[in-house]
Formats: sequence, C-alpha cells, structure tokens
Amino acid sequence: MQGLTQQVISGIATGGIFASLALALVLIYNAMGLVNFAQGEMAMLATFVAFTLIDHGMSYWIAFPLTLVIAFAGGILIQRIVIRPVERAPVLTMVIVTLGLATLVNGLAGFIFGYVPRSFPSPFSVQTVDILGAFVSYRDLGVIGVSAVVLLAIYLLLQRTTVGLTLRAAAHHPEASRLLGVRVSWMLALGWGLASAVGAVSGIMAAPILLLEPNMMQTIIIYAFAAAVLGGIESPLGAVVGGVIVGVTVNLAGTYLPFVGGDLQLAVALAIIVGVLVLKPNGLFGRPSVRRV
Amino acid sequence: MAALLEMEDVRAGYGPTSVLHGISLSVPEGEIVSLLGANGAGKTTTLRAITSGVHWSGHIRFGGKSLSKMRTEDVVRAGIAHVPEGRGILTELTVEENLKLGSHLRRDGAAVRKDYERVFEYFPVLRERRHLSASTLSGGEQQMLAVARALLMRPRLMLLDEPSLGLAPMIVRAIFEIIKTINQTDRVAILLVEQNARLALEISSQAYVLEVGRVAIKGASAELKGNESVRRSYLGY
Repeated sequence: MQGLTQQVISGIATGGIFASLALALVLIYNAMGLVNFAQGEMAMLATFVAFTLIDHGMSYWIAFPLTLVIAFAGGILIQRIVIRPVERAPVLTMVIVTLGLATLVNGLAGFIFGYVPRSFPSPFSVQTVDILGAFVSYRDLGVIGVSAVVLLAIYLLLQRTTVGLTLRAAAHHPEASRLLGVRVSWMLALGWGLASAVGAVSGIMAAPILLLEPNMMQTIIIYAFAAAVLGGIESPLGAVVGGVIVGVTVNLAGTYLPFVGGDLQLAVALAIIVGVLVLKPNGLFGRPSVRRV
Repeated sequence: MAALLEMEDVRAGYGPTSVLHGISLSVPEGEIVSLLGANGAGKTTTLRAITSGVHWSGHIRFGGKSLSKMRTEDVVRAGIAHVPEGRGILTELTVEENLKLGSHLRRDGAAVRKDYERVFEYFPVLRERRHLSASTLSGGEQQMLAVARALLMRPRLMLLDEPSLGLAPMIVRAIFEIIKTINQTDRVAILLVEQNARLALEISSQAYVLEVGRVAIKGASAELKGNESVRRSYLGY
C-alpha cells in the first residue's frame, strides 16, 4: 500500500511533465488543426538555453522564467518565419514542415551542445518526505508544484482574460473572429509562443531526471501524444488530465507488471494511444466532430 | 455631403468565377439601405467585398477613406460590423463570450456596461442563457445574439446578411423591430441583404436590386414598393 501511494505520487510528477508538453501540443492543435511534431525538440532546445544561463552562474529561479520568455519569443518567431508561409498549404505539407523543424532543431542542438548527456540542476533535493506513510521525494513534489502553477496560469489566461478569449475564438473560428476585429494571424503566433513556453517547462522539469542531451524529449513526446489523445486532442483540460493518467499508468505498469518493467513503458503509452483511438476516438474531454453537409 | 459607404464599379469573384460585374452603390450616414435580388445575384458577395472576405477591384470608400487592400480585421476596426451569412456565431464559446467578442476592442467601460444593459433589455433571452454554450441557442436566438454582438461593437455601419433566414415570422418581426430601433437611437447606418423584399422595403429608405452581379434598379424604397411592374418582375410578390 505504501509502495502504491509512492508510485502514484511519483507517477503524478511524471504526469506533470507529460501534461505540460501535451498542453503545448493541444494549444497548437487548436491553432492550426495539426500536432506540432517539433514540440519536443523545441522544449529540448529551450532546456539547453536554461542550462547555458545556469552554467553562466545565473540563479535557477531567474534562469527558469527567463527561459520561458525566450521560449515564448522563439515560438512566435518560428510561427512567423517557418509556419506562416505554409499556413494555407495542405495538411501534409505542414506535417512535413514540423517534422523538418524537429530534425533541424535536433541537429542544431547537437551541433552547438554535442551529444554527451549533461546533468541538469534541480532546485529540489532528492531527499524524501513522509506523506501518508509513503516516501516522496522533494523533487517529485517540486515538479508537481511547478507543473500545477504553470497549467493553472495557462488556464486562467485562456478562460479569464480577453486575450485568452480572442485566442480561443481565433483558433476555433478564424473567419468569424476576423469579422469581430480579432487579429487572427497574431493570435496564432501567440498560441505558438505559449505552447513553446509551456513545452519548455516540461523540458526543464524532465532534464534533471533524464539528463540533458538533444534526444532527451523523444520519448517524452510519445507520452505527451498519448496524454493529448487520451484527453481529446482539442481540450487543454483533457491534456492535463490525460498527462496525469498516462504518468500514473506508465509508472504503475512499470512497477507492478513484471513483463513491462522499465523496457516496455513506452509500449504502454502507445497502447493507450491505440486503445483510445479505437474505443473513444474523441478522448475523455473531446467533442465528437460533427460536419454539416 | 458624401455618403458613409460608397462602392464604385466593384468587381469581385471566387477564383476564375466572377460574381460582381461592376457594382456601384452608396449608403448615407444613419440610413437603412436594402440590397435585394434573387439567389446568386451577388448580394452576399457585395457584403463580403466590403469586409475583404473576397478579392475585389474598383473603389470602396468608408467615411471617405479607401478600403482597398485592407484586411478584414482592420475594416471591422474602422467601424463596420458584419453579421455574415450563417450569423458567425462562435459555437464553441458561451453566449456571454460571444458578446464579449463584440466589445473586446472598446475602452469606454461605462458605455459598454450601458450597452450590455440595453442588449439584455432588447433580448432578455440572452441574459438568461448567457452562461450556456452558444450552440444550445435556437436559430432565432442565434440571430438575436449576432445582432446584439454587432450592436456592442458600436459600429458606424452594420452589414446584415439575411437576418430573417430560416426564422419564424414572429421572430423575424421582433428582430426587425430592434434593428430599426438600433438604427434610430444610435444613428447606425445599415446595409441589409434580404430575401424577404416586402419586409426590407418597409424598413429601409433606399433599395438596390441586383441581377447577376449588376445593379438592375435603385431607388427610394417607398417608390419601389409602389411600382407594380418592378415588384412583379424583380421582387416576386
């Protein structure tokens, strides 16, 4: 029982990392009807930015928000330069563009920083604290706390502010939004900026656990896909809930199913993707898509 | 004095298909002008040209300024509210959020609050349903929402595309009453596209009848209404 609680809490922490990246995927999916295959790589690059800042002596708690600002600006820049020219292109073109972007960012990070895994600092110690009889590390609690704050901030921004309202409007109904004076194109860029910043949070949280190197996010992105699909690819809330469920499930499966162990955890995520698509294609919070003829 | 909106020899179309073959019309400040004609005559395309929803050539001036090469959102910000075909309701959002998108550019807080009061007075059902998803509204309620939202934009000109489409006669009456009230109390000019010619001629001061992308007839609404041959051959009632 104590072991179970421990695994669940640790799963929630991992889930927070998945949830952040899944939320990034959802934000962009809403903005352009397409998942951004470069999301993980963008998060990885942002994490290298944070690494560089901290490596130059900046304190973690200054480097962290500063990295989010840089990631935000970078996301907007990528949308303006790379995505905007193909905005009206067929879906396949945009898929290829984001795949190309992923390869490009990955190669760029390898070129600049090399492929040797580096240890990334965490402000939270790995010491444990006793919660309900389970030993939980401060690091897990820290990851849960940071993820929760960031996800809550995004929620409030989207639901409670005028910018959030116009952002949602532009994402769902670009034509009708233009007729209400919404600058749709900039709203899409803003969506990319936000997604990039949220993704960066997931990278920075993952790096102390996984060690930082250019391919760090390549498994995380699969879990994030699973989380986003499980939640219903259009729902920000779904992404968060999906992230936590995937995190806990994968952790429990790895611990309690001997044949899964550490090797088949990714297979569990893929099983979730396939299972959701077969049984409940709209996910937990997604709406069935109805097209009027 | 120049009219609020002037269109001169406007041509427009979709890809290789041209729909408007040189439309000229004008909407004076504070008046209601109706745009009549059969299906496919180019009424909707005329409205879409004004707010840059379609590529056009010729001249369109609003308040003396050319709208050429302007983007939709900038035309709207200049003071034109366009209630499009299909009403342009954002069905993913709540009724209140739809209304907020009408007033989101305004900075005159006190006046905005007053306008909300007015809107809810005109359409009490919108107050009752304001926290519900706009997709739960009936057709008539969605049309009310669209008109209310346009009012909240405080435009100088409203473009209304078939506000009566698909609605029960009683609801149409009610909506037209309020359109008229908005026109009179706020001096908002309105360019009204309507299938229901009788209704449109009643409410407007001037009217244009389009026929395959050209202006076939124009004149005072009262005159067109009284002219039997015009009525029979163009308006079908």
